[in-house]
Amino acid sequence: MTAPSLPVRHLDLSAMRADTHPGDAPAFSIFWWKELPLGMRASLPEELPFSEAQLRQLTAEYGAAQLAARRPALGAPLRATHEGRPKQALALSHLLAEHNLVEELDMLATAPTPPTTQISAVICTRDRGEALAGCLRSMTMQRSAPGEIVVVDNSSDGNARPVCERFPEVRHVHEPRPGLSIARNTGIRASRGEIIAFTDDDVELHPGWTVEIGRAFADQSIDALTGLVLPARLDTPAQRIFQLDKGGFGSTFIPLRFDNRFFAETRPHGAHVWKMGAGANMAFRRSLFERVGLFDERLGAGAAGCSEDSELWYRMLADGGVCLYEPRAVVFHHHRRDLVGLRAQIRSYMKGHVAALIVQHDAFHDRGNLVRIFGQLPLYFLKSFLKGLLEGRRGQPGTLAPEIAGYAAGLQFLFRPGWRREHAPRLVANGVDA
Amino acid sequence: MVYRLVEFELSKPPPVIDLAPEENGIGLIGRWHDQLIGFEMIAAAPGSTLSAGELRMLADQRFAPRVLIAMVEAELTPSSLGHTFLPSLSIAICTKDRAERLSRLLRSLEAVCDNSPFGPVEIVVVDNASTDSATRKAVESFSDVRYVFEPKAGLDFARNAALHAATGALIAYLDDDVVVDRNWLTGLAKACGDNPGAGGFTGLVLPYRLDTEAQIYFERRGGFGRGFYRNEFRGSRFDNPLHPVGSGVLGAGCNMAFERTLLIELGGFDEALDTGAPLPGGGDLDIFYRVLRSGRTMVYEPQFAVYHEHRETVAQLRRQYWSWGLGMMAFLVKSRRSDRELRSRHGAMVRWWFVDQVRTLVRAASGLRGRDVRFGLNELWGGICGLAGEYDRSRSRIEAIRELNR
Repeated sequence: MTAPSLPVRHLDLSAMRADTHPGDAPAFSIFWWKELPLGMRASLPEELPFSEAQLRQLTAEYGAAQLAARRPALGAPLRATHEGRPKQALALSHLLAEHNLVEELDMLATAPTPPTTQISAVICTRDRGEALAGCLRSMTMQRSAPGEIVVVDNSSDGNARPVCERFPEVRHVHEPRPGLSIARNTGIRASRGEIIAFTDDDVELHPGWTVEIGRAFADQSIDALTGLVLPARLDTPAQRIFQLDKGGFGSTFIPLRFDNRFFAETRPHGAHVWKMGAGANMAFRRSLFERVGLFDERLGAGAAGCSEDSELWYRMLADGGVCLYEPRAVVFHHHRRDLVGLRAQIRSYMKGHVAALIVQHDAFHDRGNLVRIFGQLPLYFLKSFLKGLLEGRRGQPGTLAPEIAGYAAGLQFLFRPGWRREHAPRLVANGVDA
Repeated sequence: MVYRLVEFELSKPPPVIDLAPEENGIGLIGRWHDQLIGFEMIAAAPGSTLSAGELRMLADQRFAPRVLIAMVEAELTPSSLGHTFLPSLSIAICTKDRAERLSRLLRSLEAVCDNSPFGPVEIVVVDNASTDSATRKAVESFSDVRYVFEPKAGLDFARNAALHAATGALIAYLDDDVVVDRNWLTGLAKACGDNPGAGGFTGLVLPYRLDTEAQIYFERRGGFGRGFYRNEFRGSRFDNPLHPVGSGVLGAGCNMAFERTLLIELGGFDEALDTGAPLPGGGDLDIFYRVLRSGRTMVYEPQFAVYHEHRETVAQLRRQYWSWGLGMMAFLVKSRRSDRELRSRHGAMVRWWFVDQVRTLVRAASGLRGRDVRFGLNELWGGICGLAGEYDRSRSRIEAIRELNR
């Protein structure tokens, strides 16, 4: 299905009786209950507008899922299982005592007012002035401002400075050594807050982003946070393929605790840390970096590819840390518009993924990482190939070739002993390298 | 092998179930304040006892999420909805030489039609060329049931006869081997009130009894079940490029309802499908497909539920799977011919169906599940026969029947 464009629309189910879509074009609907994101779905023109009964049913299904996941009286919070999915803990005896569930849903959707001054927002950018301006604009429109906003400019000539100067509250830090991990580490060292929240320059933030981060970290048992990454636009085939065929940056609207259970369950086949979230929307307690170290500079865009975020989560889980996935913390990501760029991205994702598995294996001697490289991934390629043959997607640009190319490129790191002996830099309490 | 069917009202304490020595499981029907919530089959040792605790645990796992959804939905539903004006309804039952089952169904209808939310409700029994007078006598023993005789043998001849004999704005078709759930009519009323403008409705089909190996096996393999979630179907779906060609997901012909004038406009049921032996299927797929293609919505409503008496013996069941394959392919051949716009989807559906059948077969064979393999082969063989000109053969057969009755 190569529709010309798939307009993204936002529907607040708490305030809506009838869908007014004219039904003349496809749509990608993102559903909310006030501030609470509930779910999303793509529809063809014939499926639109949604009928009243359909909206009521969607509200009931989405609302029930939120209540089950968020109301302690119903068994929440949920711990992630190896699928990276919630395991429900509902009991009928809990339900018998429940009434006014819609009111409960309203309470869940009510924005809190936790302190956000301890949050340092760090944005790493490289040669994308226009996008960065959009990101910073959304940052300054936060309902509750973060303690500081640090832009780490990873361009060689510091070209993000003029953009930053348009926003007086933004601090510009120039880091000419290329590499996303290097830039992120510079951001950590340059920032002062107890909580460091990362986002990317191709992202716009929901106005409640800092508030939700503040609320989540009020729970002292949380070391890290990831949030929901929604598509900002789905205008081009590349953007639609990334969101709909490749799964975008995840699609779960249910909060989950990733902890030692998730780690133990997935470890035999290379702990599935990539299911925990995305670097475009993540936050950490500074003390975590002191415990497990900084981002590994061999990984990430500009180095091996990506997965510098998930490799850090791996170290965190191995150390007994807890990451909360909280979809209430929302950002809107601008996916790549062009297919060439998308293929390059998919290739570098896979390359970085393999590199991270090697890094994790070397650091923890976990055979699961090798099982992932030599068992699961080739099997996944084979299955994708057969599926493609069966479905015979004519006119659909393939994404399997760049994935396999990225896989092959990632394997080279196995044979680079010097590279394999390196490790992530450490952070000492006063912010100076050990 | 016998599974006892047990109803469990989930808002009350669970029952304790003592199985008889010949019973080795239960089919558990979960309700929440009388609303159907779920169905689960549970194997157990013959003569054993299922404690309240076990049932409670099972209900928590399988039924609680759906109960929570029902609770939220109940709060969201405006109370005015129950008072919408509903049209007149005709209930059409097509039957042939099954007076006993027909009486059973009419008795179950008597109970639900008493305080009907619809305008006038009529029941029309179409006697499809029964060989003796038992059917007519059975109908006569009920008051207010109309009797229509259709001499041309074939289910879709009978369905079309009902279509023209009926007077209601809405026509609900029931097969004679079902009985209706006590909320069947209110379920249909809810679906009607909720979905003004829908062209048709389908509903849940649960097992009437699970007394033989074949019945238990059939239900375990999915039976006619289409789940406990309401669903709305239109002419295309983003998540399924083949839709609406795979119209079997909408429901089953033993429990369906339509706006009557729409069916008349569409030319009624295709009499070359669902003819009884030798082509006993495909008519429901065809009518669902044509309603969707006409631009109207179809709604699946789980509270609009019936209990279906499944085939008793393994031989009958084998024939049923064969007829599914046959009917499916006859339907696809026909619609590929008559609906040129979607030809590529029909072709893709045929390919997908065969690949899927073979895949299921391979899985059954590698798991050494001999019975699955045999039934799978039956369905596959049915599909091959269906593709090999069965629709045209059926057309010439019904032409002959029409000639005979002219």
